[in-house]
Amino acid sequence: MKLPTVQFTEQQEKFRLEVRSFLKKQIELGTFNTKCDSWLSGSDPSFSKIIAKQGWIGMTWPEEYGGGGRSSIDRYILTEEFLAVGAPVAAHWFADRQTGPLLLRFGTEEQRKFFLPKIVKGECFFAIGLSEPNSGSDLASVSTRATKVEGGWLVNGAKTWTSNAHDAHYMVTLVRTEPLDPEKKHKGLSQLIIDLHADGVEIKPIRYLTGENHFNDVFFENVFVPDNMVVGTLGNGWVQGLAELAYERSGPERILSTFPLLNELVEELKKQGDLIGLGEASKLIAEMWGLRNLSIGVAKMLEEGGEVAIPAALVKSIGTKFEQKVPEVARLLVQTMPCLEAHKNFDRYMAEAILHSPGFTIRGGTSEVLYGIVAKGVVAG
Amino acid sequence: MSEMKDMLIEVIDKIFKDCADKETVDLLEEGKWAENLWELLAENEMLNFALLEEHGGVGGDLDCIFNVYRLVGRYAVPIPFVEHTLANFTLETSGLSPITERATILIDEEQMLELQEDRLSGLLHNVPWARHMQQLVTAAKQQDDYYIVQIPLENAAITKQINLAAEPRDSITFNNAAVIQKIVVPYELIQSLKKINTAANIAKMSGALEKANELTVQYSKERQQFGRPIHRFQLIQQHIAILAGETAITNTSVDNMISALAEGREEYEVALARLRIDESSRIVATSAHQVHAAIGVTHEHNLHHYTRRLWSWREEGYTSYYWKKVLAQTLLQSEMDLWEFITKSNNVIQPIGGETNG
Ligand SMILES: Cc1cc2nc3c(=O)[nH]c(=O)nc-3n(C[C@H](O)[C@H](O)[C@H](O)COP(=O)(O)OP(=O)(O)OC[C@H]3O[C@@H](n4cnc5c(N)ncnc54)[C@H](O)[C@@H]3O)c2cc1C
Repeated sequence: MKLPTVQFTEQQEKFRLEVRSFLKKQIELGTFNTKCDSWLSGSDPSFSKIIAKQGWIGMTWPEEYGGGGRSSIDRYILTEEFLAVGAPVAAHWFADRQTGPLLLRFGTEEQRKFFLPKIVKGECFFAIGLSEPNSGSDLASVSTRATKVEGGWLVNGAKTWTSNAHDAHYMVTLVRTEPLDPEKKHKGLSQLIIDLHADGVEIKPIRYLTGENHFNDVFFENVFVPDNMVVGTLGNGWVQGLAELAYERSGPERILSTFPLLNELVEELKKQGDLIGLGEASKLIAEMWGLRNLSIGVAKMLEEGGEVAIPAALVKSIGTKFEQKVPEVARLLVQTMPCLEAHKNFDRYMAEAILHSPGFTIRGGTSEVLYGIVAKGVVAG
Repeated sequence: MSEMKDMLIEVIDKIFKDCADKETVDLLEEGKWAENLWELLAENEMLNFALLEEHGGVGGDLDCIFNVYRLVGRYAVPIPFVEHTLANFTLETSGLSPITERATILIDEEQMLELQEDRLSGLLHNVPWARHMQQLVTAAKQQDDYYIVQIPLENAAITKQINLAAEPRDSITFNNAAVIQKIVVPYELIQSLKKINTAANIAKMSGALEKANELTVQYSKERQQFGRPIHRFQLIQQHIAILAGETAITNTSVDNMISALAEGREEYEVALARLRIDESSRIVATSAHQVHAAIGVTHEHNLHHYTRRLWSWREEGYTSYYWKKVLAQTLLQSEMDLWEFITKSNNVIQPIGGETNG
C-alpha cells in the first residue's frame, strides 16, 4: 500500500487563502459561530446558500451541470478550511460529497440535469438512507422494499439515524427491489431517490444526546417513486453504494471534527506560556499531520482512479480515534468546565467535542467493521 | 527517483537480503563484527554511496540516501552502515575530505568537546559502534566557533556499552588526541546535521516498523489454533488493521519528510515525523508481539530484531523529547494560529535543488 505525497501548487495555495479570508469575514460578520463537528451537526441552509454563491458546492463537477470543473485537491482544500473554522456546512454536505458524484457516475442524463444545478445553487439537499432499525453494520440485510407498480415503485419500510433528513429535500435510499435471498443478501438492492415531501413519507426527529435534532426516523407508507428516480442499474445498489464509500471515509472530516478545540488549546497554552503543555499538544499535531498525509494521499489516488478502499477505511478508523483523543488530552492541559453555552470558546468546543465524540467511530461504518475490512484486505493482499 | 538511484537501492537491497540473514544479525548479539557483510559492501563500492559523484556516490541526494537507510531497518543490518556513510556525508558537506577508514559519527550539541590547539580531551557517551571503528566525525567548539572534526579512535579509551538491540553505544575518552581534519562551520550547519541525523534514524525506524508489520501478517496466516488460521479471529484482525494503519501513516509521513528534505523546503516535517514514529513504534511493537505470542519473545525468532531496534532507536540522537520542545517553542513564538502553521508547512514550492539545510 504505497500512497503518493502531495505538494500543493501556488494556485491551490492561493485558493486556500481566498477561502480562509472569506470565512474569516463571515465570522466577523456574525454569519456563523465556530463549532466542533460542524460538518454533520451544523446544518444551516442559509449558510449553504452563501457557499453556493461562491461556487463552492459541486466545485469539481462538470460546468455543463453548473459545477466548477475544479480538481478534487481544490475541493479537499476547501473542505479543510471549512472544518478548520467549524463552519456549518452540514445542510449541503451529503449532496456535495456523495450524491453529486453518485449521479455523475451512475445517474441518467435527466437526473443530472435536474438535480445537479439545484444542488450547486444550494437549493437541494440530500440525506443518506441506509441504516434501518434492524440493519446497522449488516447493511445488506435492509428490508425496506420497493414493489413494482405502473410507472414506478411503491416503497414501504423505515430508515433510521438519517442525519439532517429534516432539512433535506431528497434521500438516496437503499431498498430491496427483489425479495431477500438469505444466501445472497447483496443482490436485489437498488438506490432510489425519494422526495422527502412526497405523500406517505413521515420524518420523526430522534433527539441526539445533547437534545438537538440531528438525525431522524424516516417512515415510508406506500410512497410512490417514479421509474426515473432509480439510480443506475436496478439490483446494482450494493456495488454502487460501495463506490461512494471511499469518498465518504477518507476525507478531512474524519480527522478534523474536533480541530477547533485543538486550535483553541494551542491558543490557550500560548497565552499561558505553557511550554510543557505545548510539547504535549505537539504530539497531537504530529498525529494529525500523519493522518493528513494519508488522507491527502488517498484523495490524490482517488483522482487518478486508484483502488483506495483499504487506506480509506484506515483514514476513517484511525482518524476518528484521533478526533476522540483531542478533548481527552486537552482537558488535562487546560482547566475546563465544559458547557455548550459557555462564553469561553475552549469550554464550548470542549463540550461539543465530548458530546459528539461517541458518534465519530460509529457513523459511516463502525471502527470494528472497518478493522475487519482492512484486515481481510491485508491478509488477502 | 532516477534509474541510477533505483538501481543502487536494488543493489543494496540485494546485498542486505542475501547477507544480512538471521545468522549474521545474530553475530551482533554475541558482540561479533560481521566482517563479510562489511567487506561485501566495500567491494561493491557501496560504502561511499552517500557522497558526491566524483567520490563514487549519488551526489548527496537525500531522497536516495534516506530510502537506503530504510533498508537498514528493514533488514536489521548488523553493521554501522548508516554511521559510516553519514560520517562521510558530514565530512563532505562541511568541506572536508571523505575517508575510507571505518568512521562513525556523533552530532550532539550537549556533547561538544572544546578544541585546544587541534587537540581534544574529554568523555563522549553513546558513540555508535566506536569499538569497531577507526575514526570519529563529530562537532566540537573553540570559544564561540563550531567545528566539524575528524579524530582517530585508536588511542581513545573505550568503555563498552550496548543499546537494547545489542548495537554498540560506547563511551570514549580522549586524552589530548590530535584531530586529523577540522573545519569551522556555521551554526546552521550543526542545526541541519541534527535534522539529517534525526531523519536517518526515522528512516531506519520506518524500515524496522514495516518489517515487524509484515512478519505479523505472515504469522497470522501460518499459525493455526482452534482449527483455523488465527487471522480469522476478529481480535487478531483488529491487531492486523491497527498495524496496517500505523505502517501506512508512518510510510506516507516519512515519504513526506524525505521529499521535504530532498527539495530543500523542510520546516517541521522532521520534528513531526519523529513524534509520529514514536507513537507508531509503540503501537506496532505491542501488537506485533501480541499476535506472535510466545514464539515472538524467543531469541530464536526474528521479530525481536526489529522490535528491539525500535525500542532502542526511539531513544537515540535527537528524540521526541527534544523535538517536542522545539515545536513547543516554535508554537509559542508563532504569530500564526495552529491551522496556519500546519497548512504552511507543505505549501511552499521551491525549485528543486535548493539548500538542504531546512
Ligand atoms: C451521529 C450519527 C449519524 C448517522 N447518520 C446516518 C445517516 O445519515 N444515514 C444512515 O443511513 N445511517 C446513519 N447513521 C447510522 C450508522 O451508519 C450506524 O449506526 C452504523 O452503521 C452502525 O450500526 P448500528 O448502530 O446499528 O450498530 P450495530 O451494527 O448493531 O453494531 C453494534 C456493535 O457491534 C459491532 N459489530 C457489528 N457487526 C460487527 C462485526 N461484523 N464485527 C465486529 N463488530 C461488529 C459494532 O462495531 C458495534 O460496536 C448515523 C449514526 C450516527 C451515530
